[in-house]
Amino acid sequence: MTESVLDDLDGGLVVSPTDIGERLWHFFISMRTGLVLILGLAVLGFFGTMLMQAPDGLKSDPQAYATWLESLRPKYGGWTGILDTLGLFSIFSSVWFRGIMVLLMTSVLACSVNRAPHLWKLTVHPRTDMSEPFFGHAPLSMQAAGPVTPEVAAASVEAAFRRRHFRTIVHEEGDTIHIYADHFRWGPFGTVIAHLSLAVILIGALAGSALGFRDSQFAVAVGSTRDVGNGTGLSVEAKNFFDSYYTNGSPSDYSSELVVYKDGQQIGASTIRVNEPMRVGDVTFYQSYFGPAAAMKVVDGSGAVVVEQGVPLEWTSSDGTRVVGLIPLPDAGLNMYILGPKSGEVDPTIKPGQMQVEIYRMGSEKAAIATGIVTQGQPVEMAGMQVTFVRERQFTGLIAARDPGAVFIWLGSILLIGGISLVFFFPVRRAWALIRRGPDGSIVHVGAVVRHDVGFEAEFRRLATEIENALEGQSAVQGRVG
Amino acid sequence: MFKMSEYSFLAAVLSIALALGCYVLAFVSSMVARRRTTFAAAGGGTVTMEEPASTGMGLGTYGTLITWLGFSFLTASLAFRTIALGHGPFANMYEFSVAFAWGTLGMYLYFERRYHQRVLGLIALPIALLMLLYAATITAGSTEPLVPALQNNLLLSVHVAVAIVAYGTFTIAFASAILYLIQGEKGRRGLPPRELLDEIGYKAVMVGFPFLTLTIVLGAVWADVAWGTYWSWDPKETASLVTWLIYGSYLHARVVRGWRGERAAWLLILGFVAVLFTYFGNYFFGGLHSYGGLN
Repeated sequence: MTESVLDDLDGGLVVSPTDIGERLWHFFISMRTGLVLILGLAVLGFFGTMLMQAPDGLKSDPQAYATWLESLRPKYGGWTGILDTLGLFSIFSSVWFRGIMVLLMTSVLACSVNRAPHLWKLTVHPRTDMSEPFFGHAPLSMQAAGPVTPEVAAASVEAAFRRRHFRTIVHEEGDTIHIYADHFRWGPFGTVIAHLSLAVILIGALAGSALGFRDSQFAVAVGSTRDVGNGTGLSVEAKNFFDSYYTNGSPSDYSSELVVYKDGQQIGASTIRVNEPMRVGDVTFYQSYFGPAAAMKVVDGSGAVVVEQGVPLEWTSSDGTRVVGLIPLPDAGLNMYILGPKSGEVDPTIKPGQMQVEIYRMGSEKAAIATGIVTQGQPVEMAGMQVTFVRERQFTGLIAARDPGAVFIWLGSILLIGGISLVFFFPVRRAWALIRRGPDGSIVHVGAVVRHDVGFEAEFRRLATEIENALEGQSAVQGRVG
Repeated sequence: MFKMSEYSFLAAVLSIALALGCYVLAFVSSMVARRRTTFAAAGGGTVTMEEPASTGMGLGTYGTLITWLGFSFLTASLAFRTIALGHGPFANMYEFSVAFAWGTLGMYLYFERRYHQRVLGLIALPIALLMLLYAATITAGSTEPLVPALQNNLLLSVHVAVAIVAYGTFTIAFASAILYLIQGEKGRRGLPPRELLDEIGYKAVMVGFPFLTLTIVLGAVWADVAWGTYWSWDPKETASLVTWLIYGSYLHARVVRGWRGERAAWLLILGFVAVLFTYFGNYFFGGLHSYGGLN
């Protein structure tokens, strides 16, 4: 180095931009890096299974999240805050998990890019000739001699490979004939496919979370219609709901008869059940859960019907004895809660055929402005409105989802399995042969490099015997299989 | 049919126990024989678990035959159960455990035929036996009807069957890793050579890894059909992903010098712990896979 050193700080580590690039590149193509990252993901995954994970979407509601966090306190004690700060209650969306994921994908892509040209060369332009010392050192090798011309011997060797569906490339060099043979030569590309498939899957996951939606609490009361929202313009009407049970009380089957409308026009109708979703356009509806609903009618002071619909009683009260549903009345600035006894519970205040109605001002849910028991079919005046409990119904709990990334997930999965299978079940096998004139005709060397391929070792022995026999058939032979 | 299945199960348990007894005896007697002969000559090589041929078949051979018998009984037991239930017997913890044992035995027999290392049976058979005994403790309530989410015969059968093959091969990989570590560097204890154990472990993962991948993908397909999402970080899903990552690391680790041998063997053991963790997962943490008649 010729430049003058101003102070000691330049005396130590020397950094140049290309140097940094090179170091980064070497960092990412290092198998060790990949290994550490994979194990890092495994460790995070382990925490993800051992620690409670916050349900989807809970974080967007700070109050609900705080309540949820409190409920963990008895379990994790003083660690609760620390674990939360570290993001370990939502590991899979934490900065750690995402960071490692990004590093790992970078590493995987870098490795693939790094490896592909070499693989390509090895596959498309393999080295077709090996010199004699190779056959002395090859893990699998054989040598035989026969009183035939090298051309005849080479033909036997080539035929033996061909019978095993090897591709052969013959190449003559003076008196010497080189034969290169390979089988499943595209096998190693399985690793490239498998690694790239992970990127495809990741793209699918990102596309899904960025462009899709999933509403797993989409409850529709039978006889009612509900908007799907999320920019779909769809609404779903639950025409009917059926449930049946085993003798032990567990559900054996449940299904919903649905009609889907787009901007008021019916565009689909089907009966769905668990394992049998309905697809309308790019939105899919899944049967998920079910429960009781109350058909309600609300008439305001001017005599206009504000509400005439089934209300899914989809929540459970904090004491666990009642089911609760909500009718928001945004025009009046009110929230109307409908409470019923949970099935199997005997409620001291809400008798069969009754519902309890509680009305709150939106935003101040501490004190009800009106509360009362309504009996089926008997209108009751509450907060200036006439509230009627029409009848009991059921609701069907659906999942409504659109996932534009799913196609990438399945494509990636197919590539992943295909790639892995290619690597492991179709291992590439390469062998070389050298045939030259010997004192009594020809000398044949065959050699192969193997890695973890017991099948090939056995195959090679059979091949060796076959070549020996072929030469022997033409006359006496001295052979050795090693 | 259930009775037939139970009888076959019992016969299988007894056979496996007997086979294990044969293997243990064969191993001990060959160790003793080895010790005697080492006085005469310093010998190397591996234990063949074969008694001198004068008295007919060696104990080890009996062990293998009886293992085949046990495997057949277990197959029959699963077959009877399938007929009785009308779907693959893969829907609760009892059935999984029998299937796990079945997979372990099947893979043991496969690798035994291929590598002739019956020493693997000393590890694999006890694991299969423990699984069967565990199954025996939870027989009650095991014929509960299927909840709607599980009523997908094709996916249920294929998803679990594929998983069982993966688990079976990972048990063999685990067995070879344990033997590898017991073997020590000097290889004096009458076990197969380390390179061979290393090879068997690798081969087992080569078979198991694609099957585990397929299990996870099929699970994702099913989840998408039944639950509307291909992945929900359900504990069992996550645990299976962790398992997949560990075996993935193992496969990569072998390419890196310095991660072979002992470290690779430890990865296989870690992998098997993850398998068990995934397998018994529904015990600890519920989640979407929390059926299985353990409540």
